[in-house]
Amino acid sequence: MKKLLNNWIVQVLLFLSLLGLTAYGSQMINDIIPPYFLMIAFFIGINLIMALGLNLITGVTGQLSLGHAAFMSIGAYSSAIATVNYDLPFLLGVLIGGLIASVFGVIIGFPTLRLTGDYLAIATLGFAEIVRVQFTNMKITNGAIGFLGIEGSTTFPIVMTIAVLTICLMVWLENSRNGRAMLAIREDEVASSAVGINTTLYKIQAFAIGAFCAGVGGALFAHTTTFIQPTDFGFQKSVDILSIVVLGGLGSIPGTIIGAIVLTAAPEILRPLSNYRMIVYGLLLVVIMIFRPYGLMGGVNLRQALRRAMMFPKKKQAGREE
Amino acid sequence: MPILNNLMQQLVNGLALGSIYALIALGYTMVYGIIGMINFAYGEIFMFGAYAGLVLALTNYVNVYVALLGATFITMVLGVVIERVAYRPLRRSSRLSALISAIGVSFFLSSLMVRVKGPNTRGFPTLFENRIFEIGDFQITIYQIVIIGVAGLLMLSLHLFVTYSKMGRAMRACAQDQDAASLMGVNIDRVISVTFAIGSGLAGAAGVLAGIYFNAVQPYMGLLAGLKAFAAAVLGGIGSIPGAMIGGLVIGLTEILGVTVNLSEYKDAFAFAILILVLLFKPSGIMGRKANKKV
Amino acid sequence: MSLLTLDNVTIRFGGLTAVDTVNLEINQGEILALIGPNGAGKSTVFNLITSIYQPTEGTISLAGKSLVRIPTHKIAEMGITRTFQTIRLFSELSVLDNVKIGAHCRGKAGLFQAFTRLPGMKREEAEIEEKAIKALEFLDLATKCEEMAKNLSYGEQRRLEIARALVSKPKLLLLDEPAAGMNPQEKVVLMEMIRRIRDTGITIFLVEHDMKLVMGISERIAVLDYGKLIAEGTPLEVRSNNAVIEAYLGSGKFKSRIRR
Repeated sequence: MKKLLNNWIVQVLLFLSLLGLTAYGSQMINDIIPPYFLMIAFFIGINLIMALGLNLITGVTGQLSLGHAAFMSIGAYSSAIATVNYDLPFLLGVLIGGLIASVFGVIIGFPTLRLTGDYLAIATLGFAEIVRVQFTNMKITNGAIGFLGIEGSTTFPIVMTIAVLTICLMVWLENSRNGRAMLAIREDEVASSAVGINTTLYKIQAFAIGAFCAGVGGALFAHTTTFIQPTDFGFQKSVDILSIVVLGGLGSIPGTIIGAIVLTAAPEILRPLSNYRMIVYGLLLVVIMIFRPYGLMGGVNLRQALRRAMMFPKKKQAGREE
Repeated sequence: MPILNNLMQQLVNGLALGSIYALIALGYTMVYGIIGMINFAYGEIFMFGAYAGLVLALTNYVNVYVALLGATFITMVLGVVIERVAYRPLRRSSRLSALISAIGVSFFLSSLMVRVKGPNTRGFPTLFENRIFEIGDFQITIYQIVIIGVAGLLMLSLHLFVTYSKMGRAMRACAQDQDAASLMGVNIDRVISVTFAIGSGLAGAAGVLAGIYFNAVQPYMGLLAGLKAFAAAVLGGIGSIPGAMIGGLVIGLTEILGVTVNLSEYKDAFAFAILILVLLFKPSGIMGRKANKKV
Repeated sequence: MSLLTLDNVTIRFGGLTAVDTVNLEINQGEILALIGPNGAGKSTVFNLITSIYQPTEGTISLAGKSLVRIPTHKIAEMGITRTFQTIRLFSELSVLDNVKIGAHCRGKAGLFQAFTRLPGMKREEAEIEEKAIKALEFLDLATKCEEMAKNLSYGEQRRLEIARALVSKPKLLLLDEPAAGMNPQEKVVLMEMIRRIRDTGITIFLVEHDMKLVMGISERIAVLDYGKLIAEGTPLEVRSNNAVIEAYLGSGKFKSRIRR
């Protein structure tokens, strides 16, 4: 049985059926739940995709980025231009959005070679502001008025399938040579290069992949709301995504999932409070941080807990990967 | 020489704007220097100061100085309370948790203000007659003189305080090594409270000055001002007090220059573009100490 | 045969010459210790070898290949790994992951492999894990695999650093004060371990303050004072060398050894 599960083809089939199941399941949900809740679920999925990207940059590789919304906006606008101005199919537009965001991820990744910590944070923040101002003044994006007439092609199964796909890819990445190198950079850059890790390469990789996720999220966002304007992607948005990652627990994928659910749903759940909603939301952030300073899932290492539980059978066949 | 005069004119305008940024930047830099944390709520404290000044100014028998002092005092208390409630419990945990907590505080403050005073922009009552002085061909308003004067005075007293007072020495000691300072009998909690009080007071004063200068107060005014001031602090070299002043002035001047050369749509991007450029060549800011890589 | 050669190596920080025209050869398979008073420039020599600093003058070469201007991360690949004076572990990661990361430079998998998880990548992962477990067994840490590095005792952390440096099978292992903070029993065990590592064919270059340990295991000792190499030889020779005695104990005449 175990040998069978270890077979690559079997794993690929399992993976594909997981995606199929997600698509099918979300289609079912799509048909039964009321539109309002469906919309929340949409945004949970989109925020999760973007937050997983930021988790790779900030949580795993340890590079504080305050400009994630910029990658999101680049993905949103370029996919919108692709589908509206060039009539490209929607999914191709999403891919283009991701790829262009990724290119900018590499570009903004370069200052990280020289900047650390808060200097990097402010540089990414500055980059995001510049991108926003640029979009406000561009003709093709229709400036501050906003980009109209995007088709609402995003469907719930598509969001959920991409979200599950992103989760899987992130889990795999974290358990690979590349992922370990990124974790090592977060922990100690000098020691990392002493064991032969090219810190530059992996930081830029993290930025490229993280930006790709944000770009895909932005593309899905644009084709959900059908209308985007530069103010959708301000500093506030970057902070929203960062809060998801930190509140969930930096570097923890289950944490990011929980964070995305809690923080996307919270403002909606708090809606009955109407005018007091954002006041309570602000307090909530403070309170959660005070009681769980390392995030909701911080300090809980599922993989390690699981491994520890399976330590015994593991020893018998040492050397087997998971 | 119209170009030269125009330049002088812009220099004065930039100096006034830059003084406001510099005052907020000082708060960022002082808190960062001592506890290594980015207090993102400073923009909102600045906004609170502006509103406090507004409320005080609306009572008839208050003049500009009372409004300024009152707002400064109110924001000082606010800063100390915020530190107590939202940051102190997180002092020993990761800096990012404190950052998120600060972001929570800033949401709280701005939405609270929306709730109390409404989301609309409010004008500032005239506290004193604005007059325009003509020196040669360029003009300077009395508002600008007051702003530059008050900011200069506050920065000078801060400098004297940090350099010569006992508390200032304790602050510098904490910035170097908190544990060692506490072993030498410095009361860390008090130093941090005082730092927050001073930083917030400066931001509050800046708020009133900005309210007078732009004749506009708005619950979300803190966000962009705070970000630019933060950029100014980093530009100057975060943790360095003279750096924050220089950074603020540089950001104010570039912004005004951007407007002069007809790129006002890009005004908000200028500060950050300059910042990124400077950081690429001098990764720890203009006045920043070079971080020593000790292995 | 010399494995590592330092040829007229000098480094200046501003006006301070931290390492001053040092010539040193480390022979294949030996245990060489570098000693000297505090601030003599010993750790700087390690930082020069691992390219963290670049020498102002002179060259460093490994088996004839120059190491100057080669980025730090390539040094490990070329066969030099190190430990640090102040422990630098990946403290929030498991002991096993720490050692696996040590094998980074011997792996090949990239992003493509990470995302496809083809059989080749799995084989590489299995090999890395096997090597890591072997290295941990060698340093008596196998039972702590799943522990977080920061939860280990001080001595265990020092050993973990060595395991991390060993797993990539280096030609030369640099140990920066491996015995610092260890109790006497731990030091004895450490000496034994260092010998065993050498017996697997790895050359060892260590900086250490503990004279008992240095005299006990080194075949040759080099002495650094104010950045200058003042003596070099067998433990016996170095112990009776006048310049060394003077560096450590002062010249007999009243002369402050404290700089400025």
